[in-house]
Amino acid sequence: MNVLAPIRALDELDMLAAAGAEELFCGIVPREWVERYSGAAWLNRRSPKGGSLETCSELRQLVDAAHTRSLPVFITLNAPYYSAQQTELVVELAHQLSAEIGVDALIVTDINLLARLAAEKLAAALHVSSVAATLNSEAVRFLLDFGVRRIILPRSLTIAEIETIVGDVRGQVEIEVFMLNDGCAFEEGFCATTHHHSVGAFCTSLSEMRADFDWNGPRLTGRREAWLRRNLADYREWIWYLNGNGCSSTPKGLPYGPCGLCAIPDFHRIGIDSLKIVGREAPAFKKMASVRMVRDIVDRARAATPKLQVIERAISLRESPEHCRSGFMCYYKVDASG
Amino acid sequence: MEWSVHIRGAGDLDGDLTLDRFARLETSVRLQPAVALAARMAGDARFTRCAFGTEFCEHLLPAPATLDAARSAAFARGLAFTLLTPYVSGAGIARLRELLPRLAAGDEVVFSDWGVLRVLRGEFPQLRPVQGRLLNKSLRDPRIMGIYAAAPAQGSTLEVLQRSNLDNESYTALLARLGVGAVELDNLPQGMDLGFAARGLEVAVYLPFGFISTARACMAAGLHYRKPDKFQPGAPCRHECQTHLVQYTYTNSPFDNRDQAFYLKGNTYFYVHTAPMLEALLGHAAGGRVSRLVFQPRLPMVDA
Repeated sequence: MNVLAPIRALDELDMLAAAGAEELFCGIVPREWVERYSGAAWLNRRSPKGGSLETCSELRQLVDAAHTRSLPVFITLNAPYYSAQQTELVVELAHQLSAEIGVDALIVTDINLLARLAAEKLAAALHVSSVAATLNSEAVRFLLDFGVRRIILPRSLTIAEIETIVGDVRGQVEIEVFMLNDGCAFEEGFCATTHHHSVGAFCTSLSEMRADFDWNGPRLTGRREAWLRRNLADYREWIWYLNGNGCSSTPKGLPYGPCGLCAIPDFHRIGIDSLKIVGREAPAFKKMASVRMVRDIVDRARAATPKLQVIERAISLRESPEHCRSGFMCYYKVDASG
Repeated sequence: MEWSVHIRGAGDLDGDLTLDRFARLETSVRLQPAVALAARMAGDARFTRCAFGTEFCEHLLPAPATLDAARSAAFARGLAFTLLTPYVSGAGIARLRELLPRLAAGDEVVFSDWGVLRVLRGEFPQLRPVQGRLLNKSLRDPRIMGIYAAAPAQGSTLEVLQRSNLDNESYTALLARLGVGAVELDNLPQGMDLGFAARGLEVAVYLPFGFISTARACMAAGLHYRKPDKFQPGAPCRHECQTHLVQYTYTNSPFDNRDQAFYLKGNTYFYVHTAPMLEALLGHAAGGRVSRLVFQPRLPMVDA
């Protein structure tokens, strides 16, 4: 079970390796792409402004340096779709990434791109992005026909559902799950909105909109409306947690964000291959702190530390037990006694 | 060009099969104007097919007996039958394995999940798989897509936004190899480029609602949970979505569309078609690029 860290530049490598990263992922958005498509049609799931590397030479240096530390590097080519013209550009880029730069895997969402790259028989492996919304074992089996090495499961799956999938396809494909930082109120692969800076994320934008209820029953009483309003307020609080507690930090400066640390003992038992820390665009300090936290808990799980002790340690690392108790900061509901 | 109507159940087919009657099924004063507008602009429609089921929530999958009744009612009225299916967990796959054997050879099944397509191909080859609109990944964020369409300077970007991976011949060929000869789409706020339809793929488009986003964590289902247990993905529910609708008004827009409304029903957000969007869609249909229009008298989150 490896710790997968996001990286944006070569100068983050030593820090992330020292913190305990065992795999790396990043994005690349060549300048020509931005010039052609402006900021509205993204090459991967991050805005071209700030989340990705911009040149192949930068990426080559990063990959070479990572490989000297035995760290594989995966690249995101995971936009939900590409037009025909875009697909040709991305396939060409994939060849370059695989053959010339030596990246270890390409992370793909679009089934068309996946089929195209499978036919190209690149040296780089193919990973299926969480944006593909692989929610059941039959969907995993469908994707196996494209020769994929790894599938990243969406963060909306429960531990029990993940365990079923892993049990059904054990030995046929690697499974990666979300571990830290970014939440999504929706099923990411079925969200047809943009996070473009001019409008922001739809889920957080909704929290600031006027909301009116339309009750189907005979009369919307004051009591019923209060019940609905209270639930709406809870939902908006949940969104606030998903958004890194309103993009805030602990008193020691550690950024908040959705978390799966308490589930690591279960994932170790189930046989998960990789734990994903999200946030290529995040400050280096946040990435380093995130990797340290995950690696700390992974090491305890590997050492067969009792689950309850691991969970207590995870809560202490987050430095905000009141937020952990809310239940809204967790990717996964964990049975502490199990 | 074929017309289909999305029904809640067999009861919707008691009575004449006219657009006028179906358009009166929606009782919400917030949604009625959009449904009425679509019916008025569509003019005359002769329905030869009905769609039943949901694409958005596995908790709304029908009971086998309800499916049987809907299927029988469609047959009795001479309507071809389409079953809509959602994205599903393993539990949803199991429920579909109970429902799919009840369909007749040639019935359509709209899939929103690659796992469901695999089940259809492997276990139910007599059914006709249709790629659902959830698997069409065109952005349709109503907050901003109309603004892109109104900014002609962004040529390449707008071209991409009006298309999807269906733009790729390799993709339509892949669908053909998978036995998929038809796709369903939403009518996009930024306009649609349906050039791919010339390659022989059948295209169905819904009106007057388009989906924006959907989730396994449902706000409505949270009504009956303790606060720390709310909004858990896939959590069991009491179909609280059927009791109410939430209308959001884009009061925080940075643009001049602050009166724009979005609708949340259960776990899914929707937009409604404007008159120019409907006009564009009907134009595509008249031009032969759309082979079927699916009229939805209600938001497509109905509990059968």
